[in-house]
Amino acid sequence: MIRVNHLYKTFKTPNRKEVKALVDFSAHIQKGEVVVIIGPSGSGKSTFLRCLNRLEEVDSGEIIIDGQSILEKKADINKVREELGMVFQHFNLFPHKTVIENVTLAQLIVRKRQKEKAMKIARDLLEKVGIADKESNYPSQLSGGQQQRVAIARALAMQPKIMMFDEATSALDPEMIGEVLEVMKTLAREGMTMLAVTHEMGFAREVSDRVIFMDGGQIVEEGTAEHFFNNPIHDRTKLFLSQIL
Amino acid sequence: MVFGKRSIITLAVLAVIIGWVYYFLTARGITYIWHWEQIPQLLFYHGTRTAAETTPSLHLGVLMIGFILTLKISAVAIVFAIILGTIVGIARLSSEPITRAISITFVELIRNTPLLVQIYIIYFFVGSMLRLSAFAAGTAALAIFEGAYVGEIVRAGIQSIHKGQMEAARSLGMSYGKAMRHIVLPQAFKRIIPPLAGQFISLVKDSSLVSVIALADLMFQGQQAVARTYSAFEIYFTVAALYLVMTSVLSMATQYIERRLAVSD
Repeated sequence: MIRVNHLYKTFKTPNRKEVKALVDFSAHIQKGEVVVIIGPSGSGKSTFLRCLNRLEEVDSGEIIIDGQSILEKKADINKVREELGMVFQHFNLFPHKTVIENVTLAQLIVRKRQKEKAMKIARDLLEKVGIADKESNYPSQLSGGQQQRVAIARALAMQPKIMMFDEATSALDPEMIGEVLEVMKTLAREGMTMLAVTHEMGFAREVSDRVIFMDGGQIVEEGTAEHFFNNPIHDRTKLFLSQIL
Repeated sequence: MVFGKRSIITLAVLAVIIGWVYYFLTARGITYIWHWEQIPQLLFYHGTRTAAETTPSLHLGVLMIGFILTLKISAVAIVFAIILGTIVGIARLSSEPITRAISITFVELIRNTPLLVQIYIIYFFVGSMLRLSAFAAGTAALAIFEGAYVGEIVRAGIQSIHKGQMEAARSLGMSYGKAMRHIVLPQAFKRIIPPLAGQFISLVKDSSLVSVIALADLMFQGQQAVARTYSAFEIYFTVAALYLVMTSVLSMATQYIERRLAVSD
């Protein structure tokens, strides 16, 4: 479903230093696969996700999603993004819109759905993520965990083919991580194609089909959660696991 | 509360100043004959305007006629200043270097030359080429001048919105324009209400400069009345008070809007 070949991405820091975020990065993701990406900070995990929907422009390489090469000039990036749901670390809900408006807005102005249909989809999703009673609240009136669940509902409302989670639980208070992970697990079990950058090893063990360990903009090691946690091969992986587990 | 605390204080200060002028003149032994009695008829009068009118009725005096024109000029200029300022502010943040350069040049050119000069240029040069009325030329000059300032305010407002908002909107498939219109600008405008209000208060006051192109606004009518009656103090105090009414209402209106928009905070 996603084929990424030889991606290079370099950032320039304000003091003109170059940081290599992705170095000859290649990966293939199958339909329905749940892939967890882990790695130390600055290893390029988030950059990889952000390059997939072109929030970051790559320097070179190729990204093919559903048979379409999305880095070409003629590719309609807005159409591509409709199929790629994204959940951010800091939720990024629209603070001037109510919960239900957050979940319906893009349906109305991007998917051009009828109001009734958009509301129906939004209410079903809010029900699913467990905050149906908060639909007319503003984001600032919700807890972090609730906000993140709204953000997931907002992304799902576009009915994307792929969902990307960029450290979706990292900014949450510990007692709220569980409720968000539950929603992510449910999605994974329903067969959603998922890419999740996370530090939640429990999530990786429980639902992932594959774990990718990144460092220095490259894949160091990948495999099933079973392989990854029990028999890691590379020293770098072992070191990382020993530091976080 | 009909009138804000601030406007009451301002009016009190104005009264104190008038009192001080009285005291100053008497203390210096200057005899100034006050003619406050002339003021009411400059606001409203009961009578006939033309020979054709047989029965006398209540009419607006010259100062009120000027007041209304100043209101019109200011209102139209504010609307166009917002439109122009939004375009300038967005252009300033464009990824196109040429668009950015045009926006920067416009802002610098307009901000760094006097409004009075711009009014003359637009009225005598642009105005005569395009056959603009004094009203159109005066209002256009004001809108352009204030639009440059509004542009900088809008730019600051857009930049103050966390980039995660734009990213979230774009990642849902919204185009740049849709994301701006539905997500970034509404939040930015809410945040820039206080500086915008200040700018529009400036605009109302700056509008007095259009009197130089014979637009019969409040300032112009005041000057004319002074020339007829020689009651400079009384009339200019009245003119000042009338400007104060307009700017106070504007202040109060923005406070009201701010409170109403605060619901999502």
